[in-house]
Amino acid sequence: MGTLLLQSQTQTPLVDTIAGLLGLDGLLGAVVGGLLGAFLIANVMLVTTAVAGPWAKRKITASFTDRIAVNRIGPFGLLIIVADAVRLMSKELIVPDGVDRPAWDLAPIILPFSALMGFAVIPMGSGVHLADPEAGLVYAFAVASIASLGLVMAGYSSNNKYSLLGGLRSVAQNIAYEIPLIVTAASVVIFTGSLQMSEIVAVQAEPLVTVAGITIPQWFAFVNPFAFVLFLAANLAEVGRNPFDTPEAPTEIVGGYQTEYSSIYFVLFYLGEFIHIFLGGALIATLFLGGPAGPGPEALGFVWFTIKIWAVFLFTQWCRSAVPRVRIDQLIDIGWKGMLVLSFANLVLTAIIVGVIV
Amino acid sequence: MIGILKGMATTLKHAMDGQTFTVEYPDVAPEVSPRFRGVHKFSQERCIWCRQCENVCPNDTIQIVQDDQRNGEQYNLHIGQCIYCRLCEEVCPVDAILLTQNFEFTADTKNEFVYNKEQLKNVPWYKDIDPLNSRNPDRGAWIGEGEGEVDYQ
Amino acid sequence: MSLEEPQDSDQDQPAVEGRSLGDELADLLGDHVLSREEHLNAPGFVIRPDEVQDVLFKLRDEAGFDHLSCVTAEERSNRYESIYHLKKYDDPTQEASVVVPTDKDNPVSQSAEPVYRTADWHEREAYDLVGINYEGHPDMRRILLPETWKGHPLSRDYEQDRPQVVPLREHANPLEDDHSGDGGDTMFLNIGPHHPATHGVLHLKTTLDGEQVADVESDIGYLHRCEEQMCQQSTYRHQIMPYPDRWDYISAGLLNEWAYARAAEDLADIEVPEYAQIIRTMGAELCRIAAHMLAVGTFALDVYGDFTAIFMYAIRDREKTQNILEDLTGQRLMFNYFRLGGVVWDLPEPRAEFFEKIRDFLDDLPEALEEYHDLISANEILQIRTVGTGVLPEDVAKSYGATGPVARGSGIDYDLRRDDPYGYYDKLDWDVAVEDGCDNYSRLLVRLREVEESAKIIEQCVDLLEDWPEEDRTIQSNVPRTLKPEDDTEVYRAVEGAKGELGIYIRSDGTDKPGRFKIRSPCFSNLQTLPEMSQGEYVPDLIASLGSLDIVLGEVDR
Repeated sequence: MGTLLLQSQTQTPLVDTIAGLLGLDGLLGAVVGGLLGAFLIANVMLVTTAVAGPWAKRKITASFTDRIAVNRIGPFGLLIIVADAVRLMSKELIVPDGVDRPAWDLAPIILPFSALMGFAVIPMGSGVHLADPEAGLVYAFAVASIASLGLVMAGYSSNNKYSLLGGLRSVAQNIAYEIPLIVTAASVVIFTGSLQMSEIVAVQAEPLVTVAGITIPQWFAFVNPFAFVLFLAANLAEVGRNPFDTPEAPTEIVGGYQTEYSSIYFVLFYLGEFIHIFLGGALIATLFLGGPAGPGPEALGFVWFTIKIWAVFLFTQWCRSAVPRVRIDQLIDIGWKGMLVLSFANLVLTAIIVGVIV
Repeated sequence: MIGILKGMATTLKHAMDGQTFTVEYPDVAPEVSPRFRGVHKFSQERCIWCRQCENVCPNDTIQIVQDDQRNGEQYNLHIGQCIYCRLCEEVCPVDAILLTQNFEFTADTKNEFVYNKEQLKNVPWYKDIDPLNSRNPDRGAWIGEGEGEVDYQ
Repeated sequence: MSLEEPQDSDQDQPAVEGRSLGDELADLLGDHVLSREEHLNAPGFVIRPDEVQDVLFKLRDEAGFDHLSCVTAEERSNRYESIYHLKKYDDPTQEASVVVPTDKDNPVSQSAEPVYRTADWHEREAYDLVGINYEGHPDMRRILLPETWKGHPLSRDYEQDRPQVVPLREHANPLEDDHSGDGGDTMFLNIGPHHPATHGVLHLKTTLDGEQVADVESDIGYLHRCEEQMCQQSTYRHQIMPYPDRWDYISAGLLNEWAYARAAEDLADIEVPEYAQIIRTMGAELCRIAAHMLAVGTFALDVYGDFTAIFMYAIRDREKTQNILEDLTGQRLMFNYFRLGGVVWDLPEPRAEFFEKIRDFLDDLPEALEEYHDLISANEILQIRTVGTGVLPEDVAKSYGATGPVARGSGIDYDLRRDDPYGYYDKLDWDVAVEDGCDNYSRLLVRLREVEESAKIIEQCVDLLEDWPEEDRTIQSNVPRTLKPEDDTEVYRAVEGAKGELGIYIRSDGTDKPGRFKIRSPCFSNLQTLPEMSQGEYVPDLIASLGSLDIVLGEVDR
């Protein structure tokens, strides 16, 4: 990550801040600051995931299903996170016969890694922004897509037919939905005229309209709700949540690519999935919801940003409670015949509006 | 699309109203119907060793050992094997065996589920429900009046 | 056709005026009939083992017996016997039994499979447990027991105590032949026995072409618990009754108990007081609601994927019925509430409170059902998933002997509660829910509508029970402590269970235990239709179809 930071000559507040605190400057400051910053952000995301996975998800699902869920260990059952971590890590790591060893071991590492990498370019507010390359948006999509590679590796190397089916499904799904996703994001880029994340956020801070003294900012979710909905749906598919969780589909292919993984490898998969959801949420927040913007002082930016990504997480859980899973062929149909067409229509429309009006 | 939204609205409504249907079991003792059939309670004092319960039991859960005078020596009941059909209570002419409302029993091995007459006698009532009272109204159809006060403790 | 005269099936073959059904059929069959038997429910015709197909074709095509309800096989002292219990989908009170005796040394009988597809599994079961061979059967293998099993457990010379030693060579790799698809374009996939969506221990041997199902074969028997044999070793009066609860253990207990009660009461000629019949009807319908709630909930689980809200809501509503049933019967699943000649207990005291509880449940039910419709049937994604998938055309369903919601979802207007009335159903006002979509969606709708109808029935029963005069509350008729029905009396009686026609065949042998006790499980027949429904469909639709069949493996394997 350090080299990447060096190439981009733009301002990277978090790295500079850390370097400044340590009294370092120049190359050493950039490297140390970058590494520490990356460490910090990665840990923030891991903690978020740790809260989301074993605890928040259970609580949310429980409230949708009229249950109580974890409430015995610690306040609100929060210590279940520790208990679950210990439980999962103390399980035996079962390596099935005939797995394709390096690929099988690499897959669970690639998955969370690709999602974590994406956060490098996300401006999280309050100065928490690791890198701000000019092609930030493209970078985020590019690293997020590496996850597909991990899924295919897992599916193919597991020596299990269910895993294979899951891997194939995931690759078909990712291709079908990544294109609409990126094309929809491109419509935002047409507005901003920049791929740089900080620029995208900055443009959204400008006021759209002022109604009765309240200024509504130019968030792209307000400017172009159609693109927002499209992106939200495509993102559900991209992170593999209901109604598009066919690659896992426990009732059909018993967990798909992750069928043969246990213990810490399973944790990594789980982690990867959740970080992916949060990365999806971060992208939505940055592209459509004004990033860390929100009422109050600028220092609250990180809080607002966290609220926004959690809102997206909540939305995925809400869908999970009430939306059935589509069949894989229907999923591909919707992707290629519906989403792709709509996203291009959206792109053309935006281009026309931007070209004519602005 | 409307159907999907309706569905999502329904689940959201449930999430928002905050009602839960769960019984917090070990903290809150669940409601058990007075007719509920749980672990057996046996009274050696009342038993006349007629062995009807042993005969009627569909899966040989009850074992009675008598001496050559036909006096009862042992009364063993495998509560882990029992299917809780209550036929033993139904055929018992003297209410010597009763199914309490007690549904909690644990053991480390299945052999520990074989209760002898002492263990069966010490099975506690659940919430002090005496099943005889609740089931009494129609017991007349089955058995003659038992003699005297029923005392299992 | 003159055969369709109404006929009172509760009596022993009334040959009162004119000619009875038996005579008509005897004329039709002519020389095929070696001799006649009288079963309590139907005339029986003894025929030669090599004329089975001729006779059954005649009965099906000319007399209209289009429903092979059950095949009972048995080893008697001097012969093997297969009994084909035939019915009509239009009028199930018209029944006929075709008795096929076969030689003791060489028990070979012609297969009925070309006539009724459902005979496939029934005859495999007969072969497996009793040891009769069926000539012309497409697939004469064991069905419940493992391939390596020695002997036929229900045959007379079977040694119960002999250990089943399976040499390692035979047992080494049970999946060995599973690579049959290798090299071709298809892939073999084992779905189950441990799979999240098989609703128990069911093993589906599927051959996939891409994601599409090229072939599927159900492998059952993992939950075989010798229920028939257990009943044969128990006394009529008391000991059999707890076991029906355990066939279809998904809270359909009272419905199952009724199947045994109905057969045994006909066998021993026991009257049931009217008051007890109403209680039975009410309890049975509560069970049906509980069973359908679970069916709908798990079906939603199969389609929705993750642990969803609908499942929990369905379980919650099921829980309410179970609370009521617990008050009534004393248990939540294994009720053991019916007795021959009535029920064991009157309604719980205080009665007003109990009625109040039921009424509260019934009042809340429409709202709950509305929620289900919002969540399930009105959902567009669910509709594109289920409409037009898992199609089971009417004639195929009939040929496979499908009953219950599966048949009614295929447009077959067949419900034993109305067509072959028992209990108090014929005096109540309710409808049979029929959908003619033949697909997964129809079966779902049928279940949801049946819950409404059951609620109607319960409401009427509660009204009746509330006003019932106190002095007339007989819950049980006077039944002797030991029942010994006459030797060699045979009866086959079915009730409408939660999953369909649950039939019991009992042959008495003069003792207080049945000589032969055969269970006709609706799930067993319904599950047989799975390949028809899912060939050419995608794996998710196979799972959805399986869910829509609503099988309980405890009842399939017995």
